[in-house]
Amino acid sequence: MRTSKYFAFFYLSMGFLPLLFFLLLVSTVYNYIYYKELLVLTGVDLIVFSVLGLLEIYKRTEKIKTNTLVKNYINTVKSNDYSIIVGGFDTKSKEIKQKQYKVNVNKYTSVLDVLLQVKKKQQNSLAVRYSCRMGICGSCGMVINGKPALACETNFMKVSKDKVVTAEPMQAHPIVKDLVTEFKDFFDKHSSVEPHLIRENVKEQMTGKTPYDQKPSETNKFLPYSYCIMCGLCNDACPVANSNPEFLGPQALSQAYRYQMDSRDQSEGRLTAIDKLTGLWGCEFAGACSKACPKGVDPASAIQLLKLSTVEDDLKK
Amino acid sequence: MLIDRIDVMRFLKYDVIILGSGIGGFTTAIHASNFDKKAKIAVISKLHAMRSHSVSAEGGISGVLYPQINKDSEKLHAYDTIKGSDYLSDQDAVELLVKNAPKEIVFFEHLGVPWNRNEKGIIQERPFGGMSVPRTAFAADKTGFFMMRSLYDQVQSLPNVDIFHEHFATRIFRTKDAVGVFTIDLATGKHSVVYGSSLVIGTGGFSRIYKITTTAHSTTGDGIALAYNAGASLKDVEFVQFHPTALVPNGILITEAARGEGGYLLNKDNERFMKRYASSKMELAPRDIISRAIITEINEGRGMKDKDSGLEYVYLDLRHLGKEVINKRLPMIKEICIKTIGLNPEEEPIPVRPAAHFTMGGLNTDINGRVLDIELNHVSNLWGVGECGCVSVHGANRLGSNSLSQCSVWGRIVGKEVSNNTHEIKNEDVKELEVLAEAEDSRLKEMLSKKGMYTVYELQDEMKDVMEKYFYVYRNEKEMKKGVALLEKILKKSANLRIEDKTHIFNTNLRDTLEFLNQIELAYAVGVAAYNRKESRGAHSRTDHPKRDDKAWLKHTILAKEGSGIKISYSDVKITKWEPEERKY
Repeated sequence: MRTSKYFAFFYLSMGFLPLLFFLLLVSTVYNYIYYKELLVLTGVDLIVFSVLGLLEIYKRTEKIKTNTLVKNYINTVKSNDYSIIVGGFDTKSKEIKQKQYKVNVNKYTSVLDVLLQVKKKQQNSLAVRYSCRMGICGSCGMVINGKPALACETNFMKVSKDKVVTAEPMQAHPIVKDLVTEFKDFFDKHSSVEPHLIRENVKEQMTGKTPYDQKPSETNKFLPYSYCIMCGLCNDACPVANSNPEFLGPQALSQAYRYQMDSRDQSEGRLTAIDKLTGLWGCEFAGACSKACPKGVDPASAIQLLKLSTVEDDLKK
Repeated sequence: MLIDRIDVMRFLKYDVIILGSGIGGFTTAIHASNFDKKAKIAVISKLHAMRSHSVSAEGGISGVLYPQINKDSEKLHAYDTIKGSDYLSDQDAVELLVKNAPKEIVFFEHLGVPWNRNEKGIIQERPFGGMSVPRTAFAADKTGFFMMRSLYDQVQSLPNVDIFHEHFATRIFRTKDAVGVFTIDLATGKHSVVYGSSLVIGTGGFSRIYKITTTAHSTTGDGIALAYNAGASLKDVEFVQFHPTALVPNGILITEAARGEGGYLLNKDNERFMKRYASSKMELAPRDIISRAIITEINEGRGMKDKDSGLEYVYLDLRHLGKEVINKRLPMIKEICIKTIGLNPEEEPIPVRPAAHFTMGGLNTDINGRVLDIELNHVSNLWGVGECGCVSVHGANRLGSNSLSQCSVWGRIVGKEVSNNTHEIKNEDVKELEVLAEAEDSRLKEMLSKKGMYTVYELQDEMKDVMEKYFYVYRNEKEMKKGVALLEKILKKSANLRIEDKTHIFNTNLRDTLEFLNQIELAYAVGVAAYNRKESRGAHSRTDHPKRDDKAWLKHTILAKEGSGIKISYSDVKITKWEPEERKY
């Protein structure tokens, strides 16, 4: 028996008064969660909302039950086999589910190899994004053993614990199916920061025959930030992006910095566009983005430097 | 809402439709938009558009930037390219390539690519295989990646270009004045027909018909197969480039720049064996010659064997280059070796072997990128650009770094062509498209519901094994005959496929099946073309006909679809200045 049910039974047996208090509590909490209002209810409303509240408690305990089912399934794979647990959104049951598969691996096998092996031999419908398998296209970002990583660059044996690896979809993006997540919002944010060189003379840019001037020292100012492969892992790791969907996120901001620092760029509006609370001032410098980036880009530093340049820009005006 | 129903097809009209979002596709979009600012342009990609296989290009882009400093000239670049192609390239196209290539390097500089420069800010060039002098501009060893990112980012600034991410094309429709593409939106499973005045195919090559390849999982030649089914002809598909240095065992590309910077190829006895095959160019001979050399070394017992994968290999040694050169000019190679096989190239030699890398052949196009049929007439409103369009500048063997220049040069040419091709589309055309779309819709539904014998993955592995075994670096009559027969069998089996996933949302099982149907069609074409060419030229090397035969075979193979079979014809090679001579390095 679950602890929560035990407590409900306990209160009920105490008699009428505790029950009333309990119902009052449940209905108030339910009201607060769903309608964001702190109301103490009486009469018919009290009964209606208490029933709704109790139903909610029941639903949640049901969910916990399905999770134990997954655990039972996992136990059927023998402990001396290598296996992968794939979590993700099941489009049929509309639920987040986990499933474990037995796999063959050697010292070279990457997590992506293993997922494709599962897709080919055990579950043809498994949805996962992949393309270059050499860590440059940015397709296969996911959460492996709780850490954001590219599946193609992660060696299976190295990261496996007790011969098991867990692969789950990224959390900050809406999930489409299995390990595949939605990127539209992510791409829109990227485009919103003018991520390209802006030149006054566009015709010259398109057809000109002489390169623009740039010294290696000037190239080095933006080069570290130009390695972004748009895999989405930094946004996935960012606590602000996870709690505030309006926040532009480390990817878009670091790319704004990349073009802002390019000596060939002549943009005037880029800094103003991101100088807002949901833009660069939303960053709380947790630094998770820089830790997550598989290509060694340091978005956290880019954002702090952007903050500095907007202040400088402002002072100049 | 009606529009959200899965069974309602969308019809979207554009002026220019570009299928494929690699360097070829995106440059076409940018230039078409620049030439005609009012044109509505659609770029359709089966991946997220910025993830196309062009990102994997490593070494650089060729172009004569400094004729005085390097004692270089366009003429010399053209000669190198033609000699490298074993005289099968069309020389007028090569001249166009070398003339425009330098301009394109500057164009990408203007878009923001961080080319490696010297202290004065001059763009540097590095030596490459088959090139007489250094003429390959580069951005470390991530050249393709930087070019792709700057193109994608530039497209974000163009209001008249719409990008369709993750839309898989299943058919090309042609009516009198219109062209259309039938697509499945992977995220929702919804069908749409994107139609308009001109269609540009830029879907890249089809090296994924092989088992071990340097190319991305997505290089299945979809656009080529679709156009082939819509009446276009194929040219020179028997020429598949095997890159000599693919990492063992996963086949990831180790750029030719590693040898350009001075890397050695070593066999079991620590010997630089290239001295026996190309004494003057050594490790910088063209790719076909080095691939054959490596396979010969392995066949004669001077290779090594990997226990886990069973693959045989030779060594690529970079240790003597020093940490600075590796970190500055080959950082990705180091990263890949460490991350995928746990080997640091600064301390150990890299195990490599030849793997399928590039398909010289593809859609038969004229010098302006217009797709041709088997009678060499224009296929109306259809263009091919990049690796999938065989112009032909690479002939029987491509020189490294010429592919990026080809993509960008023909991107501009085709961009201009299509911007002049915008015309009215009549109601009759739209009605005809509707009928064709209905038929395609029911074909897909039937495929989904069919209870076939095989899954796509079994047959795909079978096909890849056949290609790897019978159509690899060395080929011969007996083996190829067997190979073609096996491919025919797989082709027959492919009518009997079952798809386990019946859902609509992100159905990759359906996508894989459609991709495989494109692959097997092209694999069969490669088999037939290779079997019929009875000589050795460039990448097509036959042990039973070891010599080049200019009298009988200085011509392009042209293939077209005839019923379920293939019709073969041949067309002349255009020679302007350089008569075929013996190819020695």
